[in-house]
Amino acid sequence: MPKVKKKRVGFVIDMTPLVDITFLLLTFFMFTAKFKSEAESQQKFTIQRPKVSPDTTTIPQNNLAVIKIAIDSVTLDTNYYYELSNETDRAKVWGSISALTEEQRAEPQLKVTKELLEELVRGTRLVQPTTKFAIDADRRLRFQWIQDAMDILRRKQATKFTFVTEKKGA
Amino acid sequence: MSGGGEALGGGGKAKRGSSKRKTKKRVGFRIDMTPLVDITFLLLTFFMFTTTMAAPQIMEMSVPPETEEVEVAESQLLQFYVRDDGAVFYAIGKDEPERIDPKKLTEVSEISARENLKEEHLNKLIVALYASGDAPYGLVVAVLDQLNIAEGIIVDKMKKDIDPETGKPVERQRRFTIAPLLPEDVERLKGL
Repeated sequence: MPKVKKKRVGFVIDMTPLVDITFLLLTFFMFTAKFKSEAESQQKFTIQRPKVSPDTTTIPQNNLAVIKIAIDSVTLDTNYYYELSNETDRAKVWGSISALTEEQRAEPQLKVTKELLEELVRGTRLVQPTTKFAIDADRRLRFQWIQDAMDILRRKQATKFTFVTEKKGA
Repeated sequence: MSGGGEALGGGGKAKRGSSKRKTKKRVGFRIDMTPLVDITFLLLTFFMFTTTMAAPQIMEMSVPPETEEVEVAESQLLQFYVRDDGAVFYAIGKDEPERIDPKKLTEVSEISARENLKEEHLNKLIVALYASGDAPYGLVVAVLDQLNIAEGIIVDKMKKDIDPETGKPVERQRRFTIAPLLPEDVERLKGL
């Protein structure tokens, strides 16, 4: 006798394995996520860092002063930018430069000329001599830009600094 | 607050009392997981798109202080040049600079390791990189990267040598400098 086929009205899928995997991925991405700093979220450029062979070095988080040399994504101008991670030091250093306006004093990152950069480096060295300096420059730039920044650091006795780079892709 | 709790408890009791239905013993139960999955996927996609996997690395650099003049014997100086058009050369002392194929930058580390490990140069050779202001920064860092790789090779090799005086492995003292391309070097490199 032929079986009477039941007509299916709805069906249920067991979603437990799907949820398991999704939660696993979610926790992974949540823990590896690193959010942009205040300065990074405001800047209008992205730096294409020079590629080097992979190693285990990471950029220090505390007491870091970054000299950024970047190409503006709209105007394509190259500019120096100066970012200081330590907020109390930043307030002191920004406050010590008379050329800055009130609005500029509130910014975490300044667009600077070479002369202002030199003053800022000097101010940073005076306020906090242990500050580490890093040069974060775009790989497409002429080396002269970086050379000038290095000369400024050298003149202010900051002879040890780092270049920010990126891991070479396979 | 406590009054509200009591009222809620009382209501529950009343309800249970009023219903004459027999409570079925549950063996297994099903929860509709769709909203959970919706939210989880939303968060997952958000975190996936916002994370950048390539964390920046750093490369240590040090330059000689301005006030200090360093005397260097020419024969103990290994020079790498990066010309304005991106051509890379190397020379020891006053030797004629030799060209390095820009596609085979690994030669830089080979040359540096080879020269540094020579008996007469051990811990004495100074590596200098002269880069033209017009050379791309990416290339200069690529050469620096090669010099750092060479340093790894040198340190590895030197660990195996035992200093006869102290009985300990020979220590590596790194001597390295980076400088702008001098006008006379520009002349030297012209037409090579």
